[in-house]
Amino acid sequence: MTVFKAFLRVLWQCKAIVLLYTVILVCFAAFQMQTEQSSIGFLADRPDILLVNQDTAEEEGKDCGLSAGLVSYLMEYCEVADITGEDAINDALFYRDISYIVTIPRHYSEEFFAYLRGETDKKPAVEVRSTGDQEASYAEMLLSRYLRVARVYGAYAENGKELANRVAETLSGQVSVEVASHLDTGGLSKAAFFYNFLNYSLLAGCIYVICLVLASFREEKIRKRTMVSSMNYRTFNRILLLSNGLFAVGLWMIYVLLSLVLVGEVLLSDQGVWYLANSFAFLLCALTMAFLFGTLVKNKNAVNGIVNVVALGSSFLCGAFVPVQMLPKSVLWIAHILPSYWYIQTNEYLKRMENVSPEALRPVLGNMGILLGFALLFIIAANGVSKRTRQIG
Amino acid sequence: MEAIIEVKHLTKEYKQVKAIDDLSFEVKEGEILGLLGPNGSGKSTTINCMLSLLQFSGGSIEMFGQEMKPDAYEIKRKIGVVFQDVAVFDELTVYENIDYFCGLYIKDKETRGQYIKEAVALAGLEEYQKFRPKQLSGGLLRRLNIACGIAHKPKLIFLDEPTVAVDPQSRNHILDGIKALRKAGATIVYTTHYMEEVELICDRVIILDKGKVLATGTCDELKELAKADEKVTVEVTGLREEYLEEIRKLGQIDQASYDGTSLVIHYQKGKNNLLTLIEYLKTKEIYYSKIYSERPTLNDVFLDLTGKELRD
Repeated sequence: MTVFKAFLRVLWQCKAIVLLYTVILVCFAAFQMQTEQSSIGFLADRPDILLVNQDTAEEEGKDCGLSAGLVSYLMEYCEVADITGEDAINDALFYRDISYIVTIPRHYSEEFFAYLRGETDKKPAVEVRSTGDQEASYAEMLLSRYLRVARVYGAYAENGKELANRVAETLSGQVSVEVASHLDTGGLSKAAFFYNFLNYSLLAGCIYVICLVLASFREEKIRKRTMVSSMNYRTFNRILLLSNGLFAVGLWMIYVLLSLVLVGEVLLSDQGVWYLANSFAFLLCALTMAFLFGTLVKNKNAVNGIVNVVALGSSFLCGAFVPVQMLPKSVLWIAHILPSYWYIQTNEYLKRMENVSPEALRPVLGNMGILLGFALLFIIAANGVSKRTRQIG
Repeated sequence: MEAIIEVKHLTKEYKQVKAIDDLSFEVKEGEILGLLGPNGSGKSTTINCMLSLLQFSGGSIEMFGQEMKPDAYEIKRKIGVVFQDVAVFDELTVYENIDYFCGLYIKDKETRGQYIKEAVALAGLEEYQKFRPKQLSGGLLRRLNIACGIAHKPKLIFLDEPTVAVDPQSRNHILDGIKALRKAGATIVYTTHYMEEVELICDRVIILDKGKVLATGTCDELKELAKADEKVTVEVTGLREEYLEEIRKLGQIDQASYDGTSLVIHYQKGKNNLLTLIEYLKTKEIYYSKIYSERPTLNDVFLDLTGKELRD
């Protein structure tokens, strides 16, 4: 009890660090979830374009129906700017106020029909100017789609107005899509974000606090005093390990409670339990890894460096901050040697897992087994190091 | 008196170097034994071996009649150690530190509370119980270090240079505390470089060098080992070389030197040395401003035995 009480007192001095990592986790999770929420639905973008229609010679008895249809179609799907004057148009394009300029030449509709009927070899063209960006590509796609359909129906239409009506009717058709899967992809993604980032919070929190506390207890002078005391040194080490274990479980429980607040509905689903189980297996890894570093490190100033290298390094390499899909294969190949890789891979798998069955859970259990293997390896190494350093001089 | 510690033919080797070479000595119950020696003489190594912090190459160490081993927890229960470096938690208060180190020996909360109270009083830390070590001065830190080592009321206490870098007031307080511990029945092994402390508190002294015992005995017994029996200093100016030569021939003189203002004469054992010298000075009409005689100190004995060359 004496050692445990002293452990708690030393631990209390680290409260600011625990709070810091919790705040980082909450902020990151809240930010990610906000981003995730806006990508649940789909809303078509409306590119900014300028439309110059010179084919307005109806008063001359010419057919302008197709041009009018094209204008009305583009106005439906794009934000059409009202800019006049060559300089103003050039400026708007240069400063990306508009991405695309469509100029429909005079008599375009008449010439379109003439070309389709073989009355002329001159292919009518709509003039365009583009910034070449994503919006411009989308505007170009809309224009191409309209003209492609117009070319198909052109042979069967009497005039431009009829053709425009047919094209509009075709393009306004909608297909209803039903998603066969009942997977709550949004919720599971949020949970995966949270639990992936938990990799950093758990590793940093455990390594920082446990290394600092162990550095205090294992400082050469204090260690000597403990070793000459009547307390069995093995018992002392066991109490320290258990105390650190209790701290780690406490930290994990705080984070689990936070996840219940942020992604509670997912955690109560079938997959949610496995997120918890996976994070607990990883916690054992983080705890034993921290214990190993705590045994090796004697200088408290070195702890900061270790946290940065180990926690930040493995979080970046294994995809805790960046989606795994965006990481180069070579990086992921190297990441295999880190426990974080197996932990994050399981989270990513759980995000896509349709139903919970023994077959579906096999990769999850396999990865958790690897994590427990890592934990065992770390504790054996820590024990070995501790034995070697037990004697002074 | 019964021997509490018996060290027999202790040897400790580091590769080719013998840090302790066939060392044997005893510590009797209730005594304060001073362990003296220059840096690197093997004092700390000897203590670390006695406390089972170091494995030794040969010999045996018995404490309280039993072999001392790393797992001899019954023996360790009776031992208190105050290391040279202050060994306390920066994160705990004065009271919590003493409570922790006392708690490694005493499980009963009530007994421990009483013991802590007594240790705090002995170290004079009543007003600083809620302070953290970083808020304490060097002297207070040393006193806290001692309180942590002796709070569980050990029968045998190892004090490794507990007064290094403390002010005279704190040193006096610490030395009084050590005397009080002995009065309460503790046996103490005390290492220091301060000879006056040894003379003040130690019953017996062992002088170590190069891992061997050079001399052992009480302070008075050790002083008998000094080459000179008496040192006489005469403050005089303009002493002629011929007079110095004549003084050297006065008899019983081991060594005489003159630096222009002071004539220093080291006498071998003998009587009336000062009287003979005064008579000679009177005869030659040599006028002096001051003349005084000193007995050899423990420091002289220490330097005689261990040499005056610098150590690492």
